[in-house]
Amino acid sequence: MNYLAVLLDAKRLADIQGTALEKKVTDMFGGAIKALIMEMPEEQTKKVLSAFPAARLDARFFLEEVPIAVKRAIFEEIKRSKSIEPKVIDAVMAKADQLKEAVKKESEYLPVPEID
Amino acid sequence: MELKMKMPLPHGGRLVDRVVTNPRAGKKMAATADAVYDIKPTLYNGMPVRNVYREIMSICYGFFSPCEGSMTKAELERILKERRLLSNWVFPYPMLFDISEEDLKKLKVQEGDRLLLRLKGQPFAVLDIEEIYQIDAKDLATRTFGTPQANPEVVKVAFDNKHPGYNIYSSYNRMVLAGKYTIINEPKMRSPFDRFWYPPAKARAEFQKRGWNTVIAHQTRNVPHVGHEALMRNAAYIGDIKPCDGIIVNAIVGAKRIGDYPDETIVEAHDMVNIAGYVKPSRHLVTILLWDMRYGNPLESLLHAVARQNMGVSFHMWGRDHAALGPYYDTYAAQILWENGVPSFGFDKPPYAVDYGLLMRPQNMAEFWYCPKCTEVTYSENCNHDKERQRFSGSFIRSLLAEGVFPPAVIMRPEVYKTVVKWWKILGYPFNNKKYLAERENELEIDLAEMKLK
Repeated sequence: MNYLAVLLDAKRLADIQGTALEKKVTDMFGGAIKALIMEMPEEQTKKVLSAFPAARLDARFFLEEVPIAVKRAIFEEIKRSKSIEPKVIDAVMAKADQLKEAVKKESEYLPVPEID
Repeated sequence: MELKMKMPLPHGGRLVDRVVTNPRAGKKMAATADAVYDIKPTLYNGMPVRNVYREIMSICYGFFSPCEGSMTKAELERILKERRLLSNWVFPYPMLFDISEEDLKKLKVQEGDRLLLRLKGQPFAVLDIEEIYQIDAKDLATRTFGTPQANPEVVKVAFDNKHPGYNIYSSYNRMVLAGKYTIINEPKMRSPFDRFWYPPAKARAEFQKRGWNTVIAHQTRNVPHVGHEALMRNAAYIGDIKPCDGIIVNAIVGAKRIGDYPDETIVEAHDMVNIAGYVKPSRHLVTILLWDMRYGNPLESLLHAVARQNMGVSFHMWGRDHAALGPYYDTYAAQILWENGVPSFGFDKPPYAVDYGLLMRPQNMAEFWYCPKCTEVTYSENCNHDKERQRFSGSFIRSLLAEGVFPPAVIMRPEVYKTVVKWWKILGYPFNNKKYLAERENELEIDLAEMKLK
């Protein structure tokens, strides 16, 4: 089994507050990072890797470097369906062609974070 | 019983120095050339994946001692069969000056001729041609990395065009000009690489100045996370009668993959580890090696050992998936080589135990991970909290950065992250993309003074 971690910042945590998803939040690195960890069957992993070649399966069997636009769509689908089951990824992959345009732009520009 | 160690001799006994520093002498050599050739990058799918100028630099400045130039056919065969130069010294990879048949026809050079090599429009080096021969690039690529059939100890999956190193060799031109290189126009390293440029003679002098007898090398092509830092500090507990005097980070600078960090970010981020005091600057030195990574795991470890022994390094840490990519090699291939040898690559013993081998002591390290129960970054052979532990992953951190998340200090030092953001602002993107790689290929890492020839 492979996995995909959907990172949760303060806004995303607020978005799922009060839903059943709250109980599924995983602490990573001693709670320094919060995430929803989705299970990814092999076939589904292959589909994502083939549609978005920048994505990689790392040594932890986590699918990483998934384009931000795709990650965003996955979170929106999680929020909508209140689920982290594989059907979430199926729903996102059904609109993979639409996402590809946003992904292309991402390979040229990513906003610089504002830090002190 | 002598326990204290001394700086190792260069590989092959002496450092190669093929750089003419006197401009007048360089000009005179250039004037004797029979033909002129503008160095071109090796392209794969239209993207630059290698520039032979980096090999010329690393050879002439002595990083790859005792190799002195582009290899003859006999030497190439010996490298591919036994990973030895004709002088018997261990060496992992073919070093070749390849050109197209069309270019060779235009140049009209033959064995015995001197070829002037221009870079960025200026005279850069000369190649004294000893032999001209043909290669089959696909065969070269396959034999360079090995196959599951011929090298079952470490090669698990046949190499193909998903492997960037394979793509480099399989994109070589058909003709090879063999002979020694000499740099005749001393290059000036561009910023920010200039302050990390420690060719072997300079590195050795720096180690002596700092009073370092024992030095351990850390290989990198990455921005350091806290796990890298823990590896570096803990591996350095090896030494003679005390831990290593110095830790050098030797960053590979050259063509890399889309999605990797830019070299500028890598070197300055590593430097930040000592500037911010996580390792004392008096014990930590960031340096570079010009080389287009072949991602050849055990073979790459040999090249790293050659370069770093030449710099005066006594120990090298080897980890999981050393300079590796994809499923091709065994995850621990480099450690297998340095622990037992790989007979099919010409090593019935580890590279430090064979004749004409390396004077490099391996420090084979397992993993460092974060354990919330230990509340620290801990060594995998110490921590028994298998359920709680969390492994560091470069890909995970790149994902964090791309999403604009400030990485927690338990993963990446804030000063290191700020360095990433500094270069993100300058280069317009946090990672290598097509635009960056194309611009970088134009600029390269050096500038050359104008040299007018009559």
